[in-house]
Order: sequence, then structure tokens, then C-alpha cells
Amino acid sequence: MLAGIAAAVVWMLVTPFYNLFLTKAAERLTRLGERPPVTRIELSHGQDGLISRADSRVRGLPYAVRVTDIHFPLVLLFALFLGTPDVDRRERLEALGYALLITVCFDVVDLFFWVKFVYATQLGSWSLRHYGPLARNFWGLGKHLLDLPVKLALPFALWAAFYLRRLTGEPAVEPA
Amino acid sequence: MAKRKRREPRAGEQSPAGVDTPPPRRRSGLRSEARFLITFALVLAGSFALLAWRPVNDGLVEPFTGLVARASGVALRGLGQEVVRSGTVLRTARFGVNIRNGCNGVEAMVILLAAIVAFPAHWRARLLGLAIGGLAIQAVNLLRVVALFLTGAYLPRFFDAAHTVVWQSLVILSAVLIWILWARRVAPRPAVAA
Repeated sequence: MLAGIAAAVVWMLVTPFYNLFLTKAAERLTRLGERPPVTRIELSHGQDGLISRADSRVRGLPYAVRVTDIHFPLVLLFALFLGTPDVDRRERLEALGYALLITVCFDVVDLFFWVKFVYATQLGSWSLRHYGPLARNFWGLGKHLLDLPVKLALPFALWAAFYLRRLTGEPAVEPA
Repeated sequence: MAKRKRREPRAGEQSPAGVDTPPPRRRSGLRSEARFLITFALVLAGSFALLAWRPVNDGLVEPFTGLVARASGVALRGLGQEVVRSGTVLRTARFGVNIRNGCNGVEAMVILLAAIVAFPAHWRARLLGLAIGGLAIQAVNLLRVVALFLTGAYLPRFFDAAHTVVWQSLVILSAVLIWILWARRVAPRPAVAA
């Protein structure tokens, strides 16, 4: 319970900075595949990522994605890692650090998929002109999977990767 | 006098005599975490792919969401709200919500299913865990829908945060905690000393 409250407080404090970081990182990632780089993701109202393009006026843009919705599972991640009993402080921080690193990378990729999903499926005739059926399905399914099951299950999967042996009673180190 | 069986101390523990215990034998060379995570990911992906398939969504998920809406309507009427239900929509003169995929507790149940299947246990224990865990998740989800409806009706400025951050986290966290409680009960113990 305490871990959950602490997690929510930390998350709320970090959110404004993290939103900014995520929009910029996803913008960079999207631009890596563009010649010339045209995608812009600007933070609006502190929590919406406004997706737009510099090259043309496309009907449907700017498109708002709530960035906070992408990374709220961080609360769950913090709660699980901080709430696990009988863990050495250093071990706990190390595990939390690795888990955070993986989660940050995931969040950037999730927002990137959001951008591609918007381009491929949400912009009407522009989407149909620039993305074929296979691409539309790929970005649509990818965004759906990343933004729902993977996003929700990732904190638990990471926690299990570090602490599953505490449940099964297996040794932490492989025998020689 | 019957000979009492003594539980072998877990890894890292010392036996009562103060002697370090040998590590339990593995069933295969694959680390247990890897086995668990691979099975977990496969079951999760398979289940979500199945649920996203239109015939399953229309024939199973949508009617189930309707049941969630019906139960929520009954609970809200019990709390004095004059709720009218139409399919998955709950409405009063003050506020209305449409219960959609993502708000029916199915995602949390699928995460629980994947975690239970991935964990080494007897199928009977798994089925029991799924049945009890599924009911518990739906109870939490019912609480979530009722609380969100009341939040939307009386504290609308908090609705978005409560909808996305608070209750979604709580429902998934409840699934994880249910699984941990179940797994602690069914976790295979190291071999018992002769």
C-alpha cells in the first residue's frame, strides 16, 4: 500500500519532465526513417503529444495523443519493485534501474508506433495514398498490441524476471 | 510415532543445523524466469489476438461487456442512482458512460491467465486460481465502474485521471497480487528430506 502511494507520488512528480522527454525521443525516432525529417511532436497542455508534419497540410493533423496514458504503468512498476519484501537495498535499486531502462525504451517505441498508426490509419485519403493494406495492418496491430497488452503486462513481466525465484525457491545463481 | 516430514529450507536459507542446503535440481537447462516469461508472452499474445478477432469480440467479449454494464447498473441503482442501461451504455440525467474493451476487466483476466499458465502448477490448481482470480478481478472491476461513474457524475474534473491512471493501475495490480497469492500457495517446494 505504502509502495503504491510512494509510486504514485514519484510518478506525478516526474510526469511533466518525462512527457517532454518522451515526445522529443519519439520525434527523433520517427525522423530516423524520414527523408527529409518532417514529423513534429509537441507537448500541449503538459500531457498531450501533438503530432504534425512540416511538409504538408494534412487533414486530421495535428493529432493529439495523451502521453500520460502511455507511461502510467510506471506506477505499477514502482509499486511492484518497491513493495517486494526482504530485498537488499542495492539489489532492489539495481533491479528497478534495469526495469526502468527497459520501460523507458518501451515507452518511446510505443509513442513511435502511435505516430505511425496515426499516419497509416487515421488521416483518411492521405493514409490510403501513403500506406498499403499490409502497412496499415502492421502499424494498427502493432500499436494495439503495444498499447494494451504489452503496456499493461510489462511491469509484471519485468518484476517476474527479477523476483520469480523468490516464489519458486530456486537459487538466485546458476549452480556450477 | 509417525515420522514428521521436515520442509527443506529454501535456497539461501540455512537448515536448522546451520548447514547450507544444496540447490534443487532443475527440470531443464532453461532458466525458470525465461521459461515463465516465454510462456507468459506466448499465452498473452495468443489470447489478445484471439480476443481481437471479430467473431470472438462480437460473440463473446461484447456480450460479456454487456453483463459488466448490467451488473454495474444494478450496483449503481442500489446506491440510489437512477441509471438507465442500453447495451454497454449507462446513463443518468447527470452523466453517462460507455463501457468498452479495456474497461471490462478482460485484459487483467488475460494477464492473470497467462501468468497462471506460465507458472509450474497442477492443472486443477490453475483452474481453481483462474476461477477465483477471475471473480475477484471482476469484483474489483465492478467497484471501478461504479466509482468511475460516481466520479464522473459528481467530480468530473477528476474523471480522466481516475479512469486512466488510478483504476487501470489498480485493476492490473489486483490481478498481479491475486497471482502472487496463488503462486505462493502452489509454488513447488524443493524435495523433502528423507
